[in-house]
Amino acid sequence: MRKVGVIGAGMTLFRRRLQETGKEMCFEATKMALDSAGLTRADIDMVVNGTAPDAFDGVHMKGEYLLDGCGGYRKPYTRVFTGGGTGVFSSIAGWWHVASGLADAVLVVNEEKMSSCQPHPQSVFAHIWDPILDRPLRPNLIWIFAMEMNRYMHVHGVKKEDIARVAVKNKRNAVGHPCAQLADPNITVDDVLNSEVMAWPVQRLDISPPSDGASAIVLASEDFIRRRKIKDRAWMSGVGWCIDSTMWTDRDLYFPEYVARAAQTAYKRAKISDPRRQIDFAEPYDPFDYKELHHLEGLLLARKGEAPILTREGVTERDGDLPVCPSGGLMGVGNPIAATMGQKIGELFWQLTNQAGKRQIPHEVHTGVAQAWGDLMQYGSVVVMSS
Amino acid sequence: MTFLDRTTDARRFRQWEGNMEADYIYTSGVAGERFFVALRDGGKMLASRCVACNLDYLPPRLFCEDCFAELSEFVDVPPEGRVAAVTMAHLDRRGTPLSRPQVWALVTFEGIRGGLVHRLLVPPAKARVGLAVRAKLKARGDRVGAVTDIEGFEPVRS
Repeated sequence: MRKVGVIGAGMTLFRRRLQETGKEMCFEATKMALDSAGLTRADIDMVVNGTAPDAFDGVHMKGEYLLDGCGGYRKPYTRVFTGGGTGVFSSIAGWWHVASGLADAVLVVNEEKMSSCQPHPQSVFAHIWDPILDRPLRPNLIWIFAMEMNRYMHVHGVKKEDIARVAVKNKRNAVGHPCAQLADPNITVDDVLNSEVMAWPVQRLDISPPSDGASAIVLASEDFIRRRKIKDRAWMSGVGWCIDSTMWTDRDLYFPEYVARAAQTAYKRAKISDPRRQIDFAEPYDPFDYKELHHLEGLLLARKGEAPILTREGVTERDGDLPVCPSGGLMGVGNPIAATMGQKIGELFWQLTNQAGKRQIPHEVHTGVAQAWGDLMQYGSVVVMSS
Repeated sequence: MTFLDRTTDARRFRQWEGNMEADYIYTSGVAGERFFVALRDGGKMLASRCVACNLDYLPPRLFCEDCFAELSEFVDVPPEGRVAAVTMAHLDRRGTPLSRPQVWALVTFEGIRGGLVHRLLVPPAKARVGLAVRAKLKARGDRVGAVTDIEGFEPVRS
């Protein structure tokens, strides 16, 4: 396998509704990523597109629809999809294009335009349930997350205040992010605890709402990076992905085993034997505040039940010992599903190349991990990056 | 054993009914906004111009798919186009015969990349590749800024 580096990244504003079409959003993010890498479309060998269910944008064969905005015209082009896991998984697909030697320079472009779906994307989320066992009950997707959150709280005796701290931290971290939809410099734990109950224990400010946006990265081989004398690069030192049982009822919801397995694969490749010591910062997937905690444990960066304690003690703050979601994450920047690659892989690149501006972690960092979560609460994708 | 015979009545089997309900509002986008406003208010079609590639895109795009430049220059599409391909639809989407075949065409314009698919406003016997056509628009007051503001394409010389 060849060494693969991220050499550019870009993302659009994340907003509830953007005027731009999905293609136009892809173009903006792609152009930004190419410009930041100092490349043009002609330098790109292959293109990967990542985007979640077609039903969000309301365009079937969304990958084909978005391809011109992704820079894929007349190039080898593939859309990949692992639900919310696409936010990190598409960069893994880009990685194998380069690591295998098939391509020297690859664009990965992720997009979601959830505002097209009316009155709310929740109506199409309903179609991911089993049509015979679940859908006749007319479930709402938040119910199963609420049950997962409840199970996690129950097993470890976690208080809601400690979970709310994640929402507060990430919405405050997002204040420095130029694309942020949900930044709030003044939010408090009480604001979260007093917000509307959606499906107990999930309240309005525990969850990141639907959004529109796109993000893009450029990947290149070590040889290409040397030849082009590219200075700003961060190596993808480990990748892993794993899916759990198709029946969400078969899992003990308190621990994401699939994330742990994906992380172990990625750590092995990155030669990381003690993640808590060897990883300097993390961008776990945080569409809900409790998910950051859940995923920190899945990523083996905290012992089971320890993530809320680390959060309470300030360890996961930007200036803490293990900064978590310095980008502001999904809770602070926004959640256009696949496009959250911008806060995950994009943030690792910006932090590791000292381009994170106001979000820059104040101490030196060399290794970060990003993770996304998807399909029906069962999919983990993990990427380790190093300077 | 499973159901091997073709059936037209799925309700003969134990079954559940479902509906993938989904409604959408699509934004026409940055380039689309220019195109549809010009169509509605000016009664004309615009293409976006890529100076570097010497190309005009119809429908207009915000970017050149080839050189990836952002496109901000718009030009008028020539009023006269040509039929590049035709089809006569005899059945509707459910397979029911139409009372009269519908004529559809791909219309292209000289010097313009792309084209439009639309109704061809001629009898099936007159539909042919190479026919010179122009857009027939709805009256100003009936136009809303949509592709259906164009009723179809009609021959330049009848």
